[in-house]
Amino acid sequence: MNDTQELQQLEALRDFFIARNEVQLAAAYAALNMAVSFDLPSVNDWEALEFSFNRLFIGPMAPFAPFFASVYLEPEPQVMGKSTLITRQIFEMLGLQSPWQESLPDDHLSLELDACIRLLTIRQAHSSPEVEDLWNYFLQEHLAQWLPSWFKRVRAAENLPAAILITIDVLAAWLAEKIDSLKSTDRRLAHNE
Amino acid sequence: MEKLKQKQMEKTLACNHSRRRFLQGLLATGVLATMPSGLLQPLLVEAKDLLNEAEYQIFRNACPRNCYDTCSIKSFVKDGVLQYVEGATESSFTAGGLCVKGNSYARQLYSPDRIKYPMKQIGRGSGNWKRISWDEALETISSKILEIKAKDDNLLGLGLTKYSGNFGITHYGVEGMMSSLGYTTRFVGTPCWPAGIDAQNYDTGSMWCNDPEDMVHSKYIIVWGANPAFCSVHTMKYIYEARERGAKVVVIDPLLTQTAAKADLYLQVAAGEDGALALGMARHLVDKQLVDREFVTRYALGYAEFEAYLKKNITVTWAAEKTGIPAAEIRQLAEEFARADPATIWIGYGMQRHVNGGANVRAIDALVAMTGNIGKTGGGARYGHLQTWGFNYHAMIQDKPAGSKGWLGKGGPMGEFHGASGDQQAKYRDRTVNINKIAQEILDTNDPPVRMLWVACKNVLSQDFDTNKIKRAFEKLELIVAVDLFFNPTVEQADIVLPTVTPFEDWTVNVSYWHYWLSLNEQAVKPLYETKTDIDIAAALSKKMNAKQPGSCTFPQEIDSKQWMEKEFNQGIYDLFGIDSWQQLRQGPVKAKLKSASFPDRKFLTPSTKYEFRSELAAANGHAALPEYKAGRKAYGPLRLLTPHSKFSLHSQFQNLDWMHDFNNEPFVYLHPQTAKSRGIKEGQLVRVFNKIGELSMKAKLTDNVPTDALLMYESWFGRKNNFNVNTLVDDESSDMGAFKTGAPGVAIHDQFADIAKA
Ligand code: SF4
Repeated sequence: MNDTQELQQLEALRDFFIARNEVQLAAAYAALNMAVSFDLPSVNDWEALEFSFNRLFIGPMAPFAPFFASVYLEPEPQVMGKSTLITRQIFEMLGLQSPWQESLPDDHLSLELDACIRLLTIRQAHSSPEVEDLWNYFLQEHLAQWLPSWFKRVRAAENLPAAILITIDVLAAWLAEKIDSLKSTDRRLAHNE
Repeated sequence: MEKLKQKQMEKTLACNHSRRRFLQGLLATGVLATMPSGLLQPLLVEAKDLLNEAEYQIFRNACPRNCYDTCSIKSFVKDGVLQYVEGATESSFTAGGLCVKGNSYARQLYSPDRIKYPMKQIGRGSGNWKRISWDEALETISSKILEIKAKDDNLLGLGLTKYSGNFGITHYGVEGMMSSLGYTTRFVGTPCWPAGIDAQNYDTGSMWCNDPEDMVHSKYIIVWGANPAFCSVHTMKYIYEARERGAKVVVIDPLLTQTAAKADLYLQVAAGEDGALALGMARHLVDKQLVDREFVTRYALGYAEFEAYLKKNITVTWAAEKTGIPAAEIRQLAEEFARADPATIWIGYGMQRHVNGGANVRAIDALVAMTGNIGKTGGGARYGHLQTWGFNYHAMIQDKPAGSKGWLGKGGPMGEFHGASGDQQAKYRDRTVNINKIAQEILDTNDPPVRMLWVACKNVLSQDFDTNKIKRAFEKLELIVAVDLFFNPTVEQADIVLPTVTPFEDWTVNVSYWHYWLSLNEQAVKPLYETKTDIDIAAALSKKMNAKQPGSCTFPQEIDSKQWMEKEFNQGIYDLFGIDSWQQLRQGPVKAKLKSASFPDRKFLTPSTKYEFRSELAAANGHAALPEYKAGRKAYGPLRLLTPHSKFSLHSQFQNLDWMHDFNNEPFVYLHPQTAKSRGIKEGQLVRVFNKIGELSMKAKLTDNVPTDALLMYESWFGRKNNFNVNTLVDDESSDMGAFKTGAPGVAIHDQFADIAKA
């Protein structure tokens, strides 16, 4: 996967998880299909997918697998936890803020993916030890701390549509690859020292 | 990540200065200028200093749920996030503490389970929901309203059912929204306490309890059909203090409640026979000449007739038979009560949820009155009060659109709190139907039928009666709109759900129907997601209605909920509470400048201005003029079914939160070991509880706290996929009173019967 593809994938995933309706879901899914190197399962009934998406992530029933980091990071699941504030602080360091500050928890998956896109862009253009440290922290101490629990929760859902499962798989694969590459960098650094 | 680096990064993140330095470094590289655009926006300068610099901001809130205690809350906010709440220390009633429910408020506000967006269901009950914008939701709703108006030439097809989910005064804006649309159908009355309200109004011309804080002066306290250890924890301290000062505490209840367990004496009365007990005691007082002659001659009307009634119809032995309490104990109780000075009775709402509930309350009132305990500090027949509710009801009072047509019959909406009693002058009126018979009313109402139902501050399918019938009735409705915080059984059956706010995201003002305190409720945090307050919803609907058909809704289209909170205040409120402006409430709650005893000059608000043992008004409304014995409901099953409150919920609020599930994760039916034995039921076994209207299954718990002829199940919506609902087994039989002051009779919640068997 090259850098452009990676960013396209992340953008598609970001847009998928913040979609408000079937049209937006379908558009993001099509974009994801373009960005991955294999064919995603096709979706026949986008309305049905929207219903499942809402049951899993949105509501109005208690969502099966809410996509806010603090639900998984706090000792007791809640939104607007300490980890939400840490995410907000990371955004600030990048000169960014959520347009929905205080009305949508900052650690919504899509906002975090958006921050990943910015961080990766910065790293590509002008990396520095400070930027690397921030990226490492966000990846290892935040994303890698909650996303696996969330993946597990989503995968445990009954009648999970294949299209949603594959988005989770794509994201999980990306996360694993990033963690791996960090580890190998760490190893290299350790070796050089 | 390496521990040291991780620590360093955490330090950087936590420090405003370090974060800014990092950002300045990035800015210097110019890299930010080339960043792709996305969801996140450039940081605004003003926002930069928001984090971490400030200490806790403290806000004033109030618990607006249907609870005696209406606690004053102090909320601690940091970085725009509510961190924790505590009871306000400025109120001697709240006294710095909340109950288990109040302490869980942050869990409610920040529960991932909250309803976040307006949504519509494709196929009622299907669970297939689409997220929609507010605009689309209001488009659907306003189109339906205009369609109804066009079809019926009036708006009576639009129904409102609303009750006690949020007692903040601005929430009467829901009623205001209905008025601003036209003449509608209102589900009126209250499932809670109406029989007792009428009873006290017949007797005293009002409903006015002493300040609960003056209970410390009582020498004898009877808690009759109330369970404050669960439902009014803050009042317990006054009961304990009175006992420390020498008072005797007696609990009368069919169940050995947690309050009863703490009493000096517990008397297990047969359910619904409270009137018989009070009258038996009264008769004994007559025989023993323990009647306060001064009170009954100077301040009362009709006492001689009451005494004659007692002598002719009532004996202690008869009362003992009816109540199951030995005659000697009745005599002793009566004598002790009459000899103590002052003595008081707390009349709980449970004992009036019977077909003879109003009559029961009148009999107990009479007992308190004939011992001269009314108008005394530490005395009183305590039921509730509305002395502090004199707000403007600005949000509620809205004009009808010009040319509105409505109901030509009598009446108009009433309400116990806001005091509206229907406009008797206007040509048209709203059509009123009984809130407690929602299913039957929907089924029976035609010309025009109720086509659309608006549900706010209420969870019909958990709290209203005969769940199965309600489901059938809902099929008749063309559109159901539910405004709520959580996905409860009513939302499950709605076509559109609108997300609303918790008290911490709202501006309003709160008072209690029990204590005398006034609390401000400030918006401590911004409304989360796309939630809106009831009045913001009304304003948005008005905007939509007027865009589609100018003049079709009079509700202001742009409102500021803080200003609307201010508009509820008036000079009367300021004078009563001894404040000059509402801003003073920011320093803490204040207490009404009232004497602690109700009716301190023993002038009553009855037609005669006396305490009326004989009430012509009661007679005119079809009841006995005297507080006579009225028999209970005939049993329709082998065991009485009692469904009181749990300590973990307030009706269908709170129990769905994770903290409550930690303590109370499963509903049970409680029964006496003897009853269980006769049916071969063992502890923990799965059982069926069934009667003529429904069936439930759950596990059994055996306890002799429950009488042998009864079953106990705590009411509440459990949430978390548990569909337990006691009202599947509670029918909509009316209580005797309630229509006089609240527009509809109450409901005989505790006159229900069922049987139990192994599943
Ligand atoms: S439920 Fe009652 S006791 Fe508990 S916090 Fe609310 S008002 Fe206070």
